[in-house]
Formats: sequence, C-alpha cells, structure tokens
Amino acid sequence: MARRYEAVYIFDSSLEDAAINDRITRFHGLLSPSGEPTNDHWGRRQLAYPIGTRETGYYVISRFEAEATTLPEYERALKLDDGVVRYLITLHEHEVGAPPMSEEDMARARGRDDDDDDED
Amino acid sequence: MRRPTKTCPFCETRVRFIDYKDDRTLGRFVTDHGKILPSRLSGVCARHQRQLATAIKKARFLALIPYIRGHQA
Repeated sequence: MARRYEAVYIFDSSLEDAAINDRITRFHGLLSPSGEPTNDHWGRRQLAYPIGTRETGYYVISRFEAEATTLPEYERALKLDDGVVRYLITLHEHEVGAPPMSEEDMARARGRDDDDDDED
Repeated sequence: MRRPTKTCPFCETRVRFIDYKDDRTLGRFVTDHGKILPSRLSGVCARHQRQLATAIKKARFLALIPYIRGHQA
C-alpha cells in the first residue's frame, strides 16, 4: 500500500543548486514512481545551532507517495550522501497548520479582540 | 475571584494538526531558554499540547529552533 510521506532535507549550503536538484531526482528515483513528488525549496537559511562546522543549510521539503518497501533503500542513499546534512521523513496523512481564514472568521477574530479590550 | 478562562490558541484558529515546520508559531510555546512551555501557562488543550511537544522536538532536530538558548559555554 502506498502512503504519503513528507521529507525535509537539509543540504550542505555550499552545494550548487544544480547539484541539489540532481540529488533530489536521484533520491526520488529510488522510490516507486507513483505520482509526481512536489518539492518546496526554502533555500539557504541560518541553522538554529551549528551542526558540525556548518552555520547555514539549504532546506528542501518534498512530499511524495511511495510504497513502504522502497523506503529503506532510499533512506540508505540519504544516509550515505555527504551533501545531506540532515533529513527527516514523516508520514503525511493530514494537512498540517492553520487552515486559511475565511472572511467571517476574520470578522469574528476582530470582534473577539474588541471584547478583550473591553475587559481590560 | 474567578480566574479568566484560558482558551487553546490552536483550537481558536482551528488548527487540527500542528505543523512542525512553522518555527514562528512553535517559538511562542518555548521559554527563553528553549524549554517547552507547560500547558498550565500557555492554555493549550491536552490534545494540542501532545502534538506541540512532538512538533517542537522535530523542529529542534531540523535546527529550526534551538535545543537551548542563552547558554554560555
């Protein structure tokens, strides 16, 4: 059974963008191709704490559908690649984060803020 | 005197599952030293507090938020 996964990769920030894209396509090639994976490039950003000598990392978030049996091979490739500073693979079964606010939600939120002011 | 009731900030914005990649939101639920804030202080409901703890731990691993802050070696 194919399941949806979300992977966050932190690449070495000294890598060229083309090299990063090559790696991503290589990793995803190891997975059973069921649906096109979506990649979200956050780009280079400051790490919250140094990892080894690195202060910055190139973040990529990708979502894909894959058979569980293909994952160990894929994860092994990630582990062996020196360009990948860190990675995290999680099941992506639900949409995460806040849903987009509708107009009435906005109005209600504004109304609530006004109420709070009255109490003070 | 009755204390004003605290409502869960995640329930208020109708978040069903907390995003571990949203470091700005998660940053509001840790102390100045980077410890996870107890729900007693933040008013987060039990269901979301469980999700929040896992999300913060994932975000720490991904170097989005620090494990410890304000520590001088």
